[in-house]
Amino acid sequence: MAHQAHSYHMVDPSPWPIFGAAAALLTTSGLIMWFHYNSSMLLTLGLISMLLVMLQWWRDIVRESTFQGHHTPTVQKGLRYGMILFITSEAFFFLGFFWAFFHSSLAPTPELGGQWPPTGIKPLNPMEVPLLNTAILLASGVTVTWAHHSITEGNRKHAIHALTLTILLGFYFTALQAMEYHEAPFSIADSVYGSTFFVATGFHGLHVIIGSSFLTVCLFRLIKFHFTSDHHFGFEAAAWYWHFVDVIWLFLYMTIYWWGS
Amino acid sequence: MWRSLMNLRQISQRTISTASRRQLENRVPEKQKLFQEDNGLPVYLKGGAMDGLLYRVTMGLSVFGTGYVLYELMVASMPKKQK
Repeated sequence: MAHQAHSYHMVDPSPWPIFGAAAALLTTSGLIMWFHYNSSMLLTLGLISMLLVMLQWWRDIVRESTFQGHHTPTVQKGLRYGMILFITSEAFFFLGFFWAFFHSSLAPTPELGGQWPPTGIKPLNPMEVPLLNTAILLASGVTVTWAHHSITEGNRKHAIHALTLTILLGFYFTALQAMEYHEAPFSIADSVYGSTFFVATGFHGLHVIIGSSFLTVCLFRLIKFHFTSDHHFGFEAAAWYWHFVDVIWLFLYMTIYWWGS
Repeated sequence: MWRSLMNLRQISQRTISTASRRQLENRVPEKQKLFQEDNGLPVYLKGGAMDGLLYRVTMGLSVFGTGYVLYELMVASMPKKQK
């Protein structure tokens, strides 16, 4: 059997990239069918195939790393660069929505009554549930750091407890936001205020759900002994993503919720 | 009181049956053996029969879906017959 004379990972041929592309095609076409022709079959098909591809692709990465040992320090360095670049791209994504918010709120048009919040809009009180949500996410940042320290110190019990607590805090945030959305006196259709509010906070909420899912997968892997005290990049990537979600919320809170009221 | 609490702790830790104890043990070495077996299988099929099934389902959905998209695109690009 030939052995490689380098520290990089030459992956086995895999069908997931092309199936992932097909899933993206199905999902986007499905959106069009749903918007314009009132049919959700294609969209459902697209989302299911997207889910299947993600599960199998990431399952294979766990196999290649934890079970086959392909993730050398060189490979891990590349993964670190990759995750940082991905998070940076997400930061730019949110930057766009913040730009839209400031564009509309710094110089409110006559149609809005020349003021921000616009005439007739009753904004949410930033000192009520939004403040609680801020505390929840900040606390979850502490617990995820506690989990990381526990992993590096080899303390399995504390790591499991801290990571579980982080995930529960994430669920609590999501539940409170869902309730806020339901109870809000304004909707997405209420002028540019509603648009900027719900699109920015909505995408943030989606990222909280993604981050919570990532952390949950890490919890399963932690329980199944996949992580060692000096090799646990999957967890570190999830923790970075979680801190990013927390920072985005802090900006949302300070600008849209607080300054914008 | 502390001694009875400690006894309670020991008893609750000892009552895990053999079957569920296996689930709390480190089974990574078994997985490492399975996935490092020299059988020529690519990683996406190396886990067993379930891998193949999942692969075929994903391929089925993707191929069928792509075909359906092309069909709908054709239909959408044809002019609607006016009566």
